[in-house]
Parts: sequence; C-alpha cells; structure tokens
Amino acid sequence: MGVELHLPLIPDVELVAAKAVEVVGRDLGMTPEDIESAAVATVEACLNALEHGGNSKILVRVDVVEVEGRRFLQAEVEDHGVGFDPRAVPGAGASRVHGCAAKRGWGLTLIRELMDEVQVRSRPGLTLVTMRKGVGEGR
Amino acid sequence: MEQEQLQVSTEILPDGVGVISASGYINNEGGQAVADAVERLLEEGSTTLLVDLSGTRIINSIGISILLEILEKLLDASGRLAFCNLTPTIAKTFEIMGLAQYAGIYPDRETALGALGSHGGA
Repeated sequence: MGVELHLPLIPDVELVAAKAVEVVGRDLGMTPEDIESAAVATVEACLNALEHGGNSKILVRVDVVEVEGRRFLQAEVEDHGVGFDPRAVPGAGASRVHGCAAKRGWGLTLIRELMDEVQVRSRPGLTLVTMRKGVGEGR
Repeated sequence: MEQEQLQVSTEILPDGVGVISASGYINNEGGQAVADAVERLLEEGSTTLLVDLSGTRIINSIGISILLEILEKLLDASGRLAFCNLTPTIAKTFEIMGLAQYAGIYPDRETALGALGSHGGA
C-alpha cells in the first residue's frame, strides 16, 4: 500500500508529501498528533532536499514497515544533490533567540525530535533520509 | 489543499492588545505575512500581541524562524508576544526551537488574553 512520489521543484511541493503521510497514517489508524508529527518531519526532509538536492527531482516513499514486531509508518526522502555530513549538523540546544545569528538549520533537529527512528545516509549524488513513526500499541 | 491557503487578519482590542489570526501553511510566505501583520500593529502602537493559530495545521522551520525574528523585534521594543490554539505538534516545534522560552503559549484565546492582562473585547 506504499506511495511513491516524484516531486518536481515547485513551490510548496512538500505539502504533497505531507498529504501522502496524512492519508497513509490515517489508514493505519495513527493518532492525529502522530500523523501531524510525521507530516511536519517529512516536510522538513523535503525542504532540505529542495535546498541541497541540486536540480534533480525529489523522490518520496511513504509506506508501512514492520521492524522487530513493531509496525511503523516509514517516510523516505531521497535527492541526488551534493550531499552533506549529518554529523556536522547542530543538534537541539539552547534557544536561538537573541544574540545568535543562526536561526536556520533546524530541519534535522525537528525530524529527530518528531520521529521515533531516523536514519540519514548522505554522499555526493545521493542523500536518503529514512524516518519512522510507530503505529498503535507497543510504542 | 484549500486548508493550507494562508489567511491573516488583525484586530486591536479596546485595551490595546493586538490579535493576529493566521490560518494555513506557515512557511516562508506565511511567516512573512504574520511578520507584516506584526509590523502594522507595532506601527499602530500595539506592543502586546497575540497570534492565534487556529486553522494552522502545518508549519515549517523557515516559518518558525521568521516568527523568532518577530519575537526578537518585539522584545527589543519591550513588547510581549503570545500564541494560542496551537496543535500539539506545532507547540512541540515551538519548544524545540526555543520560541516557547520567550513567548507565552496558551490553549485558547481567552486564556491567552487573561494571561496578557487583557479583558478581550468585553
């Protein structure tokens, strides 16, 4: 029942990916809050891909997977840009209000906070962000 | 995705509190629309502001960054900023990004106005 989307680089296209997460999450019986968290995380992954993915289309897959007996909604966002070092991305920390110029760059932090499992693989030519949100009991 | 169409309206309550109602997708454009509304209210002398996000279900980090800039500007003007009617996920993103440290987050408009010392429209 997975959804695969090839997103062109047009404004607000990340909302298409969010809608796919919403539809699949609803079908899985996830809570509105969990669906919304997964949708926002997917939007952030798409924004990163739009910003750093060069001129290639973005590939988004939304599916349900089972890992060690647990079911997850899984969203994957793939681009073919220059790639980046995930370890070099700042983690969640103090507020960036007042005195700190860097108010941007929160995407990965939000993804990690909103999802249950996150894997980022990146090298020049391929970045793949895999995000999972648990479904139902046993979370 | 009609529900993501941004709509922003403003009003100044009799006791001077400015209220911005925003619904739709708060991205760079949505955040800027809220920032423009804040600017207008500041020009009209209102420095205690409430942003009501009922109707906003999705937001991104760029939009929140713009809200952070609004907050800084308001704090520099010795003003106050509060938000109400956030979804749980939006409230969580505000906490993660530090907005909740400096701005009040309230469940509904009545509670927010009470906390801001406003009597609302009554």
